[in-house]
Amino acid sequence: MNITGPKIYFTIPVLGGINITQTVVSSFIVMVILCVAGILLGRNLTRRPGRMQVITEKGVSMIYGLVEEAMGPYNVSWTPYIASLFMSSLLGSLIGMTGILRSTTADLSTTATWAVMTSVICWYQNIKNIGLKAWLKGFTEPIVVMTPMNIVSEIAQPVSLAFRHFGNVAGGGVITTMVYWALSGLSVALLRLVAGSYIAVCVVLVLGGVLLLVHKKEKKVKAIRKVLGILMIALALFGFLQRLGVTQGVPFLQVGIPAVLSLYFDCFSGLIQAFVFSLLSMIYISNACPPPEERKVRGGGKKERTDP
Amino acid sequence: MEGFENFIGLNPWTALFTLCNLVITFLILRKFLFKPVKKMIDSRQKEIDDLYADAGAAKSEAEAMRSDYEQKLLEARQTSAEILRQAQSDADAKGEEILRQARSDADALRDKARSDIALEKKKALNDIKSDISQIALDIAEKVVEKEINAADQQALIEEFIRNMGDEV
Repeated sequence: MNITGPKIYFTIPVLGGINITQTVVSSFIVMVILCVAGILLGRNLTRRPGRMQVITEKGVSMIYGLVEEAMGPYNVSWTPYIASLFMSSLLGSLIGMTGILRSTTADLSTTATWAVMTSVICWYQNIKNIGLKAWLKGFTEPIVVMTPMNIVSEIAQPVSLAFRHFGNVAGGGVITTMVYWALSGLSVALLRLVAGSYIAVCVVLVLGGVLLLVHKKEKKVKAIRKVLGILMIALALFGFLQRLGVTQGVPFLQVGIPAVLSLYFDCFSGLIQAFVFSLLSMIYISNACPPPEERKVRGGGKKERTDP
Repeated sequence: MEGFENFIGLNPWTALFTLCNLVITFLILRKFLFKPVKKMIDSRQKEIDDLYADAGAAKSEAEAMRSDYEQKLLEARQTSAEILRQAQSDADAKGEEILRQARSDADALRDKARSDIALEKKKALNDIKSDISQIALDIAEKVVEKEINAADQQALIEEFIRNMGDEV
């Protein structure tokens, strides 16, 4: 069992070696997909929309509505950034399902970059709104002793953002890997047990056949019984083949079971994390971009700054 | 580990590439997707709003015109009724006047005719009286000429006049 970071495809030998990793490739592919999709969807807009345009407009206005709800109507111009973040994150997570490419969000470099970018936007907006001096002074409030705490909390924000996303996606990958490894070991152990004699093979085969073919009235356990029956027949089959010396330790348990995990860790978790990440970004940025009328008050009375 | 990066590790180059990719995605999506689509949605929304506003304005205008017409119609009806009533009363008054005039004219005519008749009658009576006198004189003359006696003559005249007076 190997739990590693992204694979390095090759290294460009300049500036101390630039590693072109799976993450870089995936990220590039995600960008190309998003850009091409965006250009295609945003093309040939007509006043009387076709089917595709209706869906596009629905999606776009939905994102606009979401951003307006979370950040306020005065911050609607942030929508494209939030949407890019969301789509990059979602597609970056889902691209891991191809099996060839690795999820970009399973690399701390990616999530950290996005998190730091959000933080930098917040800092820039704060400095723009209240001035550098007032912003720095804000760290010493309410009392000077709190300064280290305030600095830590400011740094903790992007760190937590980055690690949350990275941890969820990468952790899912780790668990999937571990389950694969465990299932492989279980298959090998079961096969060794069954392949010991032809009698064992026959017993398992008959058991499997009975489970699969004999119907009872109860419908609740029907699916489980069928799955178990199929697994036992497969066990008998591969046990027989191993007994004959044709195959050795086929990890047949790896078929099917990991798909359920993948559904959760890749689809569901990817979607949720993309959503959480963009929602938190929206909240942080909207805290740094108060409504225009409040902005003036903050600029005038410099002690008004509230930490997010 | 050869060929792999650390599981938890930061690669500044990867970070830089990611940043570039995000910025490019952002710029392209903004320029080619979000701005045009938003513009299209907004313009359509505006068009719909304008249509509704126009329809509302037209409706209220029509409403105003209708009430105006109704008002005018009512006024016209009132005016016509007034005119009719006036004409009726005028005609009544005029008829009355004409009738009264005619009656008084007729009265006047009748009175005049009566007085004329009376006058003529008187005149005729006088004429006759003078004629009779003349005739009597003539007769007398003739009688005288024939030398009748005075007594006969007198009796004759008186008788004649009496007869004449009775006849008239």
